[in-house]
Amino acid sequence: MKPIRLLLLLAALLAVSALVACGDDDDDAGDDASPSATTNATETLAPPDEMTFMAGFKPQANLPFVGAYVAQEQGFFAEENLSVDIQHVVTPGDNFRLLGTGDIQFSTADATALLEKWTGDPVIEVVSLALIGQTGQQGFAVLADSDIQTPADWAGKTAGYKGSDVTPDYLAILEANGLTRDDIEDVRVGFEPQILTEGAVDIFPVFIANEPDTLERLGYATRLFTAADYGAPTLGLSYVTTAEYARDNPEITERFTRAVLRGIEWADANRDAAIDIVLQYAPEEDPEHQRYMLDTELAMAKAGDVYPELGIGGQTLEQWQALHDFLITHNGLPQEIADTSAVFTDAFRAFSEAE
Amino acid sequence: MNGRLRAVLRGLLEYVAPPAIAFAVVIGFWEAYIAWRDISILVVPAPSDIWERFSDEPGFFWREGWWTLYEATLGLALGSAVAIVLAVVMAHSRLAERALFPLAIVIKVTPLVAIAPVLIIAIGFGTTPKIIVAALLCFFPMLVNTMTGFRDVNPGALDFMRSLRASPWSVFWKLRVPGSLPYVFSALRITYPLALIGAVVAEWFTGDRGLGFVVYSAWLNLQTPKLFAAVAVLALIGVGINIALSLIERRVLFWHESVRSTR
Amino acid sequence: MATDTHHVSLRGLSHIFTDGRAPLHVLDGVSVDVPCGQFTSVIGPSGCGKSTLLRIVGGLLEPSSGAVRVNGGRPRDAQRRHEIGFVFQDPALLPWRTVAGNVRLPLEIDGLRRRAADVDSLLDLVGLREFRDYYPHQLSGGMQQRVALARALAVDPGLLLMDEPFGALDEITRESMRYELLRIRACQAESAAGKTVIFVTHSITEAIVMSDRVVVVTGRPGRVTADVDIELPRPRTQEIERSTPFLDYADHLRGLLVGAAA
Repeated sequence: MKPIRLLLLLAALLAVSALVACGDDDDDAGDDASPSATTNATETLAPPDEMTFMAGFKPQANLPFVGAYVAQEQGFFAEENLSVDIQHVVTPGDNFRLLGTGDIQFSTADATALLEKWTGDPVIEVVSLALIGQTGQQGFAVLADSDIQTPADWAGKTAGYKGSDVTPDYLAILEANGLTRDDIEDVRVGFEPQILTEGAVDIFPVFIANEPDTLERLGYATRLFTAADYGAPTLGLSYVTTAEYARDNPEITERFTRAVLRGIEWADANRDAAIDIVLQYAPEEDPEHQRYMLDTELAMAKAGDVYPELGIGGQTLEQWQALHDFLITHNGLPQEIADTSAVFTDAFRAFSEAE
Repeated sequence: MNGRLRAVLRGLLEYVAPPAIAFAVVIGFWEAYIAWRDISILVVPAPSDIWERFSDEPGFFWREGWWTLYEATLGLALGSAVAIVLAVVMAHSRLAERALFPLAIVIKVTPLVAIAPVLIIAIGFGTTPKIIVAALLCFFPMLVNTMTGFRDVNPGALDFMRSLRASPWSVFWKLRVPGSLPYVFSALRITYPLALIGAVVAEWFTGDRGLGFVVYSAWLNLQTPKLFAAVAVLALIGVGINIALSLIERRVLFWHESVRSTR
Repeated sequence: MATDTHHVSLRGLSHIFTDGRAPLHVLDGVSVDVPCGQFTSVIGPSGCGKSTLLRIVGGLLEPSSGAVRVNGGRPRDAQRRHEIGFVFQDPALLPWRTVAGNVRLPLEIDGLRRRAADVDSLLDLVGLREFRDYYPHQLSGGMQQRVALARALAVDPGLLLMDEPFGALDEITRESMRYELLRIRACQAESAAGKTVIFVTHSITEAIVMSDRVVVVTGRPGRVTADVDIELPRPRTQEIERSTPFLDYADHLRGLLVGAAA
């Protein structure tokens, strides 16, 4: 091809990429609305602040999701002059990524995942606004008719793990029962319950509020083991935002936290109605299973000594530090977090004491 | 010596420089675009980030890549072996062809991601399900190409062998098999990368080795530079395979016009 | 090989192809006897079934009706006894084998374990000894046909069937190949007059130069419309092509062909 034609082709390519780039400008305009709007939102007549809350993988009765669904449907968001778009994670890590890029403002996160983000590359400063799950979500299920009575019986068996490696919870259970990783064959598994029911593994990782009930409904009773049974200081789901956003938008953060916590309170008092609301977001789900999930998670929200003092969503430095140290000793974090108090804040739910 | 050196330089200029330059231009655009639009590393890493992550532990990536290649190669061997045996049977029996070909199509059409978890539950964990997934992907293209290769004989040569009253066995070994080699090679060009893809996809679902697993865990942990580095290594492996196949093909198929005319 | 009965004998040979949309009648009532050692050309316009005739004689095709005898028996049996050699217009050499490898092919198939020297002497015969390790794609069309000829001669057949073997070659090569073939045939002659050859061609000159006899097949379906003995002295040379008897034969045959085409 003659040089002049090559130049023209390159110029065309440049022009096309410039056009594509310009197309992105429209998206940016939307993000600026929230920060700049806070300075104006002092009067109740101001237009509602727009934001996105990202719940987890699929709509279901996880307690933080429920709080948001209820806040939406019962008008708690509207009363706080908030216009909230509720979305759900599509690919794992979406919520952290989008928090990191500023495309969403609030989300939920597991406590361990939250701490991991402070030691990740790059660091994403995710902050817990309210610790809903006072104890960890992870459990390990065995079929009720198996001969495994205690984790000591795990020796010589096959245990599954999800994600990229076994979890600190798993290692803690082993440690507490005098086992090492070599005593058990661990394999990476998917989410299909057949893996347990067909005997591909003996010990299957589950969410405490979820699979045991599902398996039961399929006709398979299970026994459950958790790290908390053996004294591990595990924690569950939180409402989260980024440190930067909370710093730049304290009022909005407070209003949001208030609304979702009200949602949880309301769900606690009106369980059937709460399930009806969940089903609006998840019409394909089984109402009884959703109710099981809700009940279990409410119980987990009220577990421990923090709840009686601080109510639902309360959190202390001791809790977070204990989890942090636990993760460090069980290979859950690549390095220590210098200032653990930075990962959470109670500043935005202090109001909930004033009933 | 001077002539030799010039020949090497010319070879580099003709074959290596153009793609290298094109590649460099793309990388340059990529790096510049990310800097210009300030794109977060969480979304797409810049080539410099990817290179940094890769050069932190290149041995790790190559090791994992070797593992995936191993699974893919075994899968390719298995899938091809079955395909070739079936092709032989079908080439000699139209009845067998009518009976078996629809089955082959079913295999081709079934989405891998549906099969992989089922296979894992049925077969267990470890390397075997990955080899089988890779084999399943290779099977159909190899089958079709080999069958065509067996059929597509020079009619004059076939006439000649018939004129000697050569047995079908003789015709098969002396005429059909060597004649089908160009088709087998062209199938290999397609199926080797497919086997790689199969191994990578299977590594998503189970196991803790291989570049597919590296991509999966990097994806879960939002480690985009690591993810892209793994993908880049996979791409390099694919290119390497292609080059190796080309070189082998040049030697084995020296007599075939497709090889001779590519100069 | 029987010397008192004819080498090849055709009686009322007809053939209809039925695998197309409509049946195609290509040969009708062909009756010809070819004695041993005779070089017979079959000449005629395209589409008159000459190739079909050759394939039937060679056992590659079963005729719809009529009788075919080679050495008194069925062509297939003659094939099995390695009594027939074929050369087609397309040399159809196996491209992955060397020249020597291609010539050796019939020996491998039949399990005739002849020594390598035989392959070399065949290559000598066709003048390609120094090309034994070359591959077909490195040879010209004429050379490839010579290899095909050597290959056909590898089993030492008494009958050679050739279907326009020089048809794809250029004029100059074609001319020299004619005389080459005659020379080779003369070299091979250990007994009597040499191999029996049935040679299909379009070219009148070629037919006259090479043959003892020319059979004219014309019409659709093809019938034998003339049978001309060529009484020209052997060995044939280029000078003969300018001789009066030659030109007379040529005129005669041309007239037969043109008349048939009319």
